[in-house]
Amino acid sequence: MMTLEDSIGLSLRNLRQSKLRTTLTTLGVAIGIASLSGMISLGIGLQDQVVGRFMQSGLFGNITVTEQSDLPGALAQLGQRGGPRARGVRAGGAPGRSEVRLDDDAIRRISQLQHVREVTPNLRLPVEVSLGEFSSPVVATATPMSSKGEGTFQTFSYGEFFRSESDNDCMLTLDMATRIAEKDTGSLIGKKLTLSYAASQKTPSDSIAGGFQVHRTGLQCRIAGIVERNPGAVGPGGALSVSGVMLTMGLARAIDLDIVTSPQSLLRDPEAAKTYAAVTVKVKQSQYTQDVEDDLRRMGFQAFSIDDALRGAKNAFIVLDIFLSLIGSIALTVSSLGIVNTMVMSILERTREIGIMKAIGASDNDIRWIFLGEASAIGVMGGFVGIALSWVVGHVINFGANIYIQNQGGTPGDLFSLPLWLIAGALVFSILVSLGAGSYPASRAAKLDPIQSLRHD
Amino acid sequence: MTTGVVKCQDLKKHYRIGNTVVRALDGVSTTVFEKEFVALLGRSGSGKSTLLNLIAGLDHPTSGSLQIDGVELAAMSAEELSRHRQRSIGIIFQSFNLISSMTALENVALSMTFAGISKREREARAAHLLESMGLAGRQTHRPKELSGGEQQRVAISRALANNPRVLLADEPTGNLDSRTATEIMEVLKDLNVREGKTVILVSHDAKLAAQYAHRTIALMDGLVQESAS
Repeated sequence: MMTLEDSIGLSLRNLRQSKLRTTLTTLGVAIGIASLSGMISLGIGLQDQVVGRFMQSGLFGNITVTEQSDLPGALAQLGQRGGPRARGVRAGGAPGRSEVRLDDDAIRRISQLQHVREVTPNLRLPVEVSLGEFSSPVVATATPMSSKGEGTFQTFSYGEFFRSESDNDCMLTLDMATRIAEKDTGSLIGKKLTLSYAASQKTPSDSIAGGFQVHRTGLQCRIAGIVERNPGAVGPGGALSVSGVMLTMGLARAIDLDIVTSPQSLLRDPEAAKTYAAVTVKVKQSQYTQDVEDDLRRMGFQAFSIDDALRGAKNAFIVLDIFLSLIGSIALTVSSLGIVNTMVMSILERTREIGIMKAIGASDNDIRWIFLGEASAIGVMGGFVGIALSWVVGHVINFGANIYIQNQGGTPGDLFSLPLWLIAGALVFSILVSLGAGSYPASRAAKLDPIQSLRHD
Repeated sequence: MTTGVVKCQDLKKHYRIGNTVVRALDGVSTTVFEKEFVALLGRSGSGKSTLLNLIAGLDHPTSGSLQIDGVELAAMSAEELSRHRQRSIGIIFQSFNLISSMTALENVALSMTFAGISKREREARAAHLLESMGLAGRQTHRPKELSGGEQQRVAISRALANNPRVLLADEPTGNLDSRTATEIMEVLKDLNVREGKTVILVSHDAKLAAQYAHRTIALMDGLVQESAS
């Protein structure tokens, strides 16, 4: 039996005998592989552009929790897309709003759920910020210490993240900071920002007014950092806790205790536990997001995460990837027919040679392996050239597209992405397709009758 | 010359062309002994090449028995037949049947490749064989760069590569001039005498056969007509 090394050596030698035909066939395979891997890399690139930006935002693994029916309209509907389990809980009669309140006790119970890392209330406080001559109403949000280094807080234009939750510190977005100090934005770091808001004070029961008195009060906070982006619009239900002004949890809780945001808030019993419009639950690992959502629904809350919204997008990308792969496969199918044609022609030309080989001791399997070796060599070469071609074309398109995107004011990115697994996969697939295409000619060559072959001219 | 290397008993090979059954061999019984030089004589179509192909394991008999070294060829699988051609038999053709794209050395080494012999060993042995055939300076030449006699010497070297006991020569001088034909016959005779190879020669030249063979077997219409020493 011939060794593998000799089999490969004979295959390569045969390919060298007909350089032009081998080159053209290899080029056909290369175009097929370039087409397929190019289409898949386009799918991956587009998916990265959409999903990847969400991933960078740090939104994955965050769940926004509200009391039942608190989520408005479409958001409430999205929150109900928790799969059959979630619907089952609802159908089974989850406790109503009156029974399950989103208060500090609920936060403590949610914190004890499996896979939950942190639970923080979403505090959105309508205040007026002022510094020097600048004054503007804004909705300040509370930002937990755990957000440090995540999403928006990965990069700072100036300053840094809060040092402690209990400090009277705040952060600004670059937009807000520019509004306050257009020229020397960085100089705002360390300065005191005044937060003014309406607070209520209980009046003596024997007074004429009786009940509550609303008055304007204020607090000062040190500007600790300025962040570059404000993706707050992305996060539904205030999940991001990012706005023009971001406060430490300690400062936000202090304001939240006595701020008056509506006439209804005046009527709240000060002795009753404080409830929150929404809380954000951070999951230890994003793959547990769905499990935690289900647990929260069982507790009687509404839960929504960005994963719910992206699940549909991911499914759409799977369909897109399949569609693009099918288009790419057409070229590869044509090129595999090219391999069959090349090798059948090669058998016709080398029939006598095959007969000689059999007469001097080659077995059917030896002949089969020589031809399969030729097919796989075409596959390997075609695969490498195809991947290189795909990489070059992808980069050229990326370059051109990014020029256009930048001209349109968009953020440049990679439309084509060629990860290592795709390179390896394309190479293996190229070899498999070539072997598949070469198996029929190889089998035909192996079965040739030696006497008839020796008579062949 | 006591042991029967090749034994045929009522060996038949029939094949069909259209509606006609051709009886290429129609009951051949003969024995070729070890170290014997036997010539198979007969006119074109007498069945001598068919018998040679059967002994080589390139074809299957329709019926009868054909034993090589006591092993029945008809019972061998395709894989066993290829091993038989590799190790027990060396074939020399009238038209040389060298691979045109390979050098003389590569042609000789090729049969050792199928036997799984290492590259270094097969190249050394191929070089030695070519040298012994007087082709030391022609190793890197391709067949078209060699004369007919040289090509046939390369073919004989290839047949000897795996050191077989039996050499099958199918009209090896048919494409050569008389002087070269004599040289080739001398080489075969020498291999028979010096190295003890059993040689089965197919020829239609009775005079040449009688000159070199120990025994001639005349075939006609697929039957042995005469066996003479």
